[in-house]
Amino acid sequence: MHRRTLLVVLLAAALLVPPAADAQKPIKVGMPMPLSGPPALFGEPATKGAMMFVEEINARGGVLGRKLELITRDSKADANEAVRQARELILKDNVDFLVGTLTSAEGPAVSVVAKENKIVFIAPIPKTDQLTAPDKLHPYVFRVASTTTIEGRSAAEIVAKWPVKRVATMSFDYAYGQDVTKAFVEHLKKIKPSVEIVDQQWPKLGEQDYNPFINAQMAKKPEAVFSSIWGGFFVTYSKQARAVGMFDALKYHFIGVGEAATPETAKSMGADYPVGIWGNSYDAFYWGETQAHRSYVARLSRYLKDEYPSSWAIQGYIGMQFLAEAIKKAESTDSDKVAKALLGLTVETPVGPLTIREKDHQANRGQLYGKTVMDPKYPFAIMKPVTYVDPTKFMD
Amino acid sequence: MFLFLIAAGLSLIFGVLRVLNFAHGTFYMLGAYATYQLVQWMGVSGGRFWLTALGGALVVAALGGLIERFLFRRLYGKDELYQLLFTYALALILSDAAKMLWGTQQKSVSRPPELTGALHVFGAIIPHYNLFIILLGPAIALAFWVVLQRTRVGRYIRAAALDRETLGALGVNVDALYTWVFVLASFLGGLGGALISPMRATTPGMDTEVIVEAFVVVVIGGLGSFWGTFLGALIYGQVLSFGILFFPRFSIFAVFALMAAVLIVRPWGLLGRPLR
Repeated sequence: MHRRTLLVVLLAAALLVPPAADAQKPIKVGMPMPLSGPPALFGEPATKGAMMFVEEINARGGVLGRKLELITRDSKADANEAVRQARELILKDNVDFLVGTLTSAEGPAVSVVAKENKIVFIAPIPKTDQLTAPDKLHPYVFRVASTTTIEGRSAAEIVAKWPVKRVATMSFDYAYGQDVTKAFVEHLKKIKPSVEIVDQQWPKLGEQDYNPFINAQMAKKPEAVFSSIWGGFFVTYSKQARAVGMFDALKYHFIGVGEAATPETAKSMGADYPVGIWGNSYDAFYWGETQAHRSYVARLSRYLKDEYPSSWAIQGYIGMQFLAEAIKKAESTDSDKVAKALLGLTVETPVGPLTIREKDHQANRGQLYGKTVMDPKYPFAIMKPVTYVDPTKFMD
Repeated sequence: MFLFLIAAGLSLIFGVLRVLNFAHGTFYMLGAYATYQLVQWMGVSGGRFWLTALGGALVVAALGGLIERFLFRRLYGKDELYQLLFTYALALILSDAAKMLWGTQQKSVSRPPELTGALHVFGAIIPHYNLFIILLGPAIALAFWVVLQRTRVGRYIRAAALDRETLGALGVNVDALYTWVFVLASFLGGLGGALISPMRATTPGMDTEVIVEAFVVVVIGGLGSFWGTFLGALIYGQVLSFGILFFPRFSIFAVFALMAAVLIVRPWGLLGRPLR
């Protein structure tokens, strides 16, 4: 009885109140991200970056006069869980948009939910090419992350400049590891046909003991190694590789993609970092190329209360930034209109202008690359010189 | 070899207490975190690494003692399902507690400076630290064997594994004995984590990774059998290494295939004894 009364009242209110009141309601954005377990290492700062953006834009009056409201959910880095959370966000929380997911398993899975519900979905981190492949692409999915093609080819360009012929690879045996390694090998062979791939190792995702893999690989006498062992796993891998003198044997002709040179990883390893190798990162607080980036880092540093703020926050930040700009451009929160507005949209992000291509809904998001060195200014290794590799020429 | 340390604790708890301790991997993780914390305070140089590793293992052992005294005690003789649910819940709670204390960022411990060198053998390079672990494994195995076979306490422990009631009737304080067995097993788990920390990243989630490996080792060797666990750890390492050398993409499969084969032929493990 009570509930029905309430419903009637609500219905009446909805009918009576003119749309003007609707403008006061916040625009809801659902964010499924891994917030527990090892992937939380990236999911948490990415969520914080998005939260910081929301706080900042709301302080300036929001979008179209409405505040943004971010609703985060723990996707546990699991495709099924991410789908469940995305559905719940849409059905229960009535979110207008989805921004989120981290792994290459979650991204494509949530993309299907977005397609079913005709809701714009922006993926800030998953790199697998499959997310925006022609057969998976639909009007509502967008990506502001880099891709395995971009990352593999960027690394191949660097390795091609080294005086090496015998190259080996070390990657986890799953979508991301396989895709990025394939892109690297194919591009390297194309631009430097004299290169020979002497060995490829495929430890399982999350391997803890790399010694057998390293030994088997070094037995093939490679002159350079490409690795896509990411995050905390890189710490384990490189500690074990360093102990058996692998980096010395390679004369530091080693490149670690999968963000092996993030300030976070360097910081946690301190003097144990294999200084001299090449690596990449989405962001680095010491990059400081532009005023916009310096200002972003200063604000993030304050927001996270961290002197050396995370390099992952930027992805959540950019994801939200694209959404907000698209809503402004569309002058609507209707997903169809916002999806159209996102096509070809260029946004001035802290890492420079980025554009979402109409062809595959993919932003030209490159990464920072550099050779790691010890800098007396910091108690850990940094990339120096650190270069933003523009991916435009690597995108098919 | 460090896997042996962890599996030995797991096997010990099962052999004596008849509880499959799913939280054992979490003790290993806590050992690594505790060591990291002590290293942050004390550093690793001048032999202090060994103090921190021992300290880390002792902290975990103390925690294990408390857990046995106040929680585990209620589990003995209960249905296996309850035991498994409880230890699993314990693993989740402890790992979340670790996350609250140390956050999600990976942590790293340096190798002790006295063991940063490496040995060159037939073209292969074996870091001194790895060599130390390789030697430590059999040493601990031997020490345990001596304790179990030759001392009074060892006889009690073996007796408790066989018949708890009779031992109690003979005037032995079985409750205290169980607590000490659990403390010892936690110590082994914690020590495994402490000693591995210079070779790995210390992250949330390392507990569930290791518990699966430890279970494989224990199942191959025989649950509750000490030398079986030792043998299981050796076989696990060898199969994995040779698997990687010859069929890089199927090395994990080889290990589990071996486990399946052992389970079919000798369900109680290579050196275990059939239950009842």
